[in-house]
Amino acid sequence: MEALPQTLLFGILRSGLYALTALGLAISLGVIGVVNFAHGEFVMLGAYIGFWAYLLLSGPLGLGPAVSPLVIAVGIPVSAIALYFIAAGIFRVALKPVLRQPELNQMLLTFGLSIVVVNAMSIAFTAQAQDANLAWRFDLLELGFVNVTYSRVAGFAVSATLVAGTYVLLQRTRLGKQMRAVAQNRLGAQVVGIPVDRIYEMAFGLSAALAAAAGVMLLFQTQVSPFVGLGTLLKSFSIVVLAGLGNLTGVIWASLLLGIAEQVISQYVPNGAALRDGLFFVLIFVVLLARPAGLRR
Amino acid sequence: MRRELAGWGAFLVVAAALPWLGIASDRYLMFLANVMLMFMTLALSWDVVARTGQLSLAHGAFFGLGAYAVGIGYRSAHVPPLAGLVLAAVVAGVVAVALGIVTLRLRGIYFAIATLAFAEVLRTVALQLPDLTGGNVGISMPPLFDGDRVRSYYLAGGVFVLAVALSVWVRRSRIQYAVTAIRANETVAGVVGVSVVRTKVALFAASAVLAALAGAFYMPFITHTDPADAFDISRSVAALVFPIFGGLYTTVGPVVGTILLRSLEEYLRVTPPWKDGYQVVYGLVIVVAVLFMPRGLVGLVSDRMRRAAWRSSR
Repeated sequence: MEALPQTLLFGILRSGLYALTALGLAISLGVIGVVNFAHGEFVMLGAYIGFWAYLLLSGPLGLGPAVSPLVIAVGIPVSAIALYFIAAGIFRVALKPVLRQPELNQMLLTFGLSIVVVNAMSIAFTAQAQDANLAWRFDLLELGFVNVTYSRVAGFAVSATLVAGTYVLLQRTRLGKQMRAVAQNRLGAQVVGIPVDRIYEMAFGLSAALAAAAGVMLLFQTQVSPFVGLGTLLKSFSIVVLAGLGNLTGVIWASLLLGIAEQVISQYVPNGAALRDGLFFVLIFVVLLARPAGLRR
Repeated sequence: MRRELAGWGAFLVVAAALPWLGIASDRYLMFLANVMLMFMTLALSWDVVARTGQLSLAHGAFFGLGAYAVGIGYRSAHVPPLAGLVLAAVVAGVVAVALGIVTLRLRGIYFAIATLAFAEVLRTVALQLPDLTGGNVGISMPPLFDGDRVRSYYLAGGVFVLAVALSVWVRRSRIQYAVTAIRANETVAGVVGVSVVRTKVALFAASAVLAALAGAFYMPFITHTDPADAFDISRSVAALVFPIFGGLYTTVGPVVGTILLRSLEEYLRVTPPWKDGYQVVYGLVIVVAVLFMPRGLVGLVSDRMRRAAWRSSR
């Protein structure tokens, strides 16, 4: 029924948010070397902050239909900055002490953090899903050959901007150079005078800020509850595994692959929704079997 | 060794006598006693994998797989619950070997990631195959031993004894050297002749079988399972928080940790601000234990005893 170009377009649009979320995960893995099981919770917290921004803008300030772009303009900076500092705090208090401990302890720590955050949120704000009902979720942008919701286009545009910005930061700035140096060789970086712990803290904050932005954009597509983190985390994991652990450029290609493959499956395979939701696992499994170092190495 | 076995013997005698110390007629307390044994089995089995330095987030999933094996066996072929236990063990063993061979060759984080994803995938599969699994509604079956909770207590006890046996055996046999070497440094372990992957896969499979047996007991005991319940991540959390709190890499630790934390859970679950959010406590226990008491309660107690012995010997 639907034509191939349309399927491809939807797949590409879908992959934007995937890349934004997975890039943060890849940064904490690549630069700090820690698997962050709480990354999905950063997305969830970002979504909640975006949701509160929406409540404030649409309630007391009563901005009506104009609220969708404002949620992006206000919600993303606010939630990204908030999550940067939350993550930096977490790094200082909990993560730094375990950096030299066995991998098992590091993973247990971030997994424990994720459980704390999910359940604290469900105690404080109920387990009920919150729905922002933003107009852009349903408003259609007419492109001639196809109509897409504003939310999809905005999600992709925001993601593309932030992902590109992050690459510029990593490639062109002094800070990015330092991050890459720390990622390549911790000891060497220390020897040439890079404050390694400070760089770790900033990298972790950056990864959380990217997740927070993704969380705000998630508001445009679905309801948010304290439990949205897990699904987000798993898909990001599959992208990072597909890209090769810590390979930051690979994240874009892997996201495109996952997004397009999911869209193709749900379009052309009968009862494809189930297969689509399990696809990330199939990808992890196949990659681990065939090319454990990632697709492009 | 002899002292340890004598200790477990005494524990089992007390545990076996428990129903006759006045709680056999109290259905709630007997329920709790059954569940306690089941979770001790789960906790002991998780700890065996942790000893190789691996983080398994799939123990809840193997528990659910065991529950579904019994349920599907009953639903499609009227397999009785006891034969269902065997079925569950076989299914879990095969699946764990397959999962282990693919993921345990690589760095530990791949295993952790794959096990977390595995749980989510089983839930999706159970939802999407309604002809086999009953879909969303799940599967019901008649109560184990017609609801006789004393007899089911002894069945759960039998599975628990297997878990204790595995845990003690791994710690006391030659394999302990391989396990410790792998945990300390896999590359070095390989160099000195330990077959790293084979050891990890074998222990993971044995452990998964035990987790599945716990689930296979749970299904006819509770009489119903569905995807949301069977593959609830909270059971994977329970499997790891109990040993961490009690003391990793020991046999006493997971048992003590289960008794204390599961009792606390029973209280928090009906107490207003906590309710389903009681898990926040488990999260905090994990974080605090990793940061401040990496050897758990057992570690605290043995340090204290050693210090006391040192002081009295002066």
